[in-house]
Amino acid sequence: MKYGAFISLAAAALMGGCASTTTVDDFRPTLELIDIEAGEKLAVLGRRDAGHYETDRSFIDCLGKRLARSNLQVISEQEFVDALYPWFEPRTAPKALKRLKRIMQDPAVREKVQLEKIRYLIWLEGEVETQGMSGAMSCGVVPGGAGCFGYNSWEKSAVFEAIVWDLVDLTEEARIRVDSEGTSYLIGIVAPIPLLTPVESQACEGMGEQLRSYFFQEEG
Amino acid sequence: MKSWSVISVLPLAAMALLAGCTSISVQVEQEFPAVVAKPRDMSVVLVMDREFRNYLARPNSKTRIQFGAAQVEALSKAFNGLFAQVEVVSSKDQAGPDTDLVIVPSVLEVQLSTPSESFLNVYEVWIKYQLDIETADGVPVDSWFLPAYGKTQHSYLLSRSTAIEDATVVALRDVGAKLMLDFFRIPAIHGWVQQRQAMNSDS
Repeated sequence: MKYGAFISLAAAALMGGCASTTTVDDFRPTLELIDIEAGEKLAVLGRRDAGHYETDRSFIDCLGKRLARSNLQVISEQEFVDALYPWFEPRTAPKALKRLKRIMQDPAVREKVQLEKIRYLIWLEGEVETQGMSGAMSCGVVPGGAGCFGYNSWEKSAVFEAIVWDLVDLTEEARIRVDSEGTSYLIGIVAPIPLLTPVESQACEGMGEQLRSYFFQEEG
Repeated sequence: MKSWSVISVLPLAAMALLAGCTSISVQVEQEFPAVVAKPRDMSVVLVMDREFRNYLARPNSKTRIQFGAAQVEALSKAFNGLFAQVEVVSSKDQAGPDTDLVIVPSVLEVQLSTPSESFLNVYEVWIKYQLDIETADGVPVDSWFLPAYGKTQHSYLLSRSTAIEDATVVALRDVGAKLMLDFFRIPAIHGWVQQRQAMNSDS
């Protein structure tokens, strides 16, 4: 009984340690809601120009789905880059508004954006990093069975930045930075038990909520 | 029980090790989107011979990538974004009299980089093209080097063949991007276009 209670307490303490801390910083030139008409769409795109990493597609999908649940029409990344091929390929994608304005000077591009009713573009950049691995675990196999003993822990941090561009007015509407960090554990009590901190989904939730608040009035 | 485990694990481990050593053949079958651009009112003939249409790359002794059909599609669509009339033929003789330019693409080299070689978590493909450009009368305008690059986002949970195919598709999409950005900036092409416009305005 005492042993069971001890394990429950230890697990609860560790689960408490798995909680993540998420910070959302944003900048907007105005406090007014972002204007979006019925039928107009948003596109969520990841930056692909960095050599050593690419913005995680699972984060892009997560944010797209979260915005779609808020009654916003979201066009997928692949649909968007195919619809405007080749202007959003890694070689050609605009990094700043100046370049976007130049691309939008092409009547064919402008017509396509109007035809597809794509009003806003959300650029995402960032990644999830793992660091500070500590602890030790050993696993073994004996004729009677197998098991692992010990523990490992590691820090995970997710840092993502979003920039919202208006494809009609060709202006920057908002910038958001989300930092989410937490510690994950792997406990070996015969079987290895992972207690993972969902930093990426926390960052997605934080960014999704912030973006949603730009388009819709907060209730209550 | 123990002997059964050893017997079953050893062949699996051997297969996993051999998978890295055996040769691989990848066929790239991909459709590419149409280019969003206003083409110039000119007529070109793209000469893609049988070897180009069935191109088989051998970036190393163990890898073969067949992307002839995919590169024909990628280049045809890209040139359709640059020129109002594009005709794809298999030899120069088939170029019509109203043609402005004849373009003959060829593959100079294909390079592949895998995580086991580069220690990066991505597969990368480089395709180096050469475009021999001449007028309908056979007067050379330029011979342009066109490099294209593609990589996978990462290599987790990707089979080697899928990763190589994905990187090749990204490289072929990059051909369209490079052409749209740079084709009319090639000094010889820029000069030829200006000369042609001047002649048209005179006549």
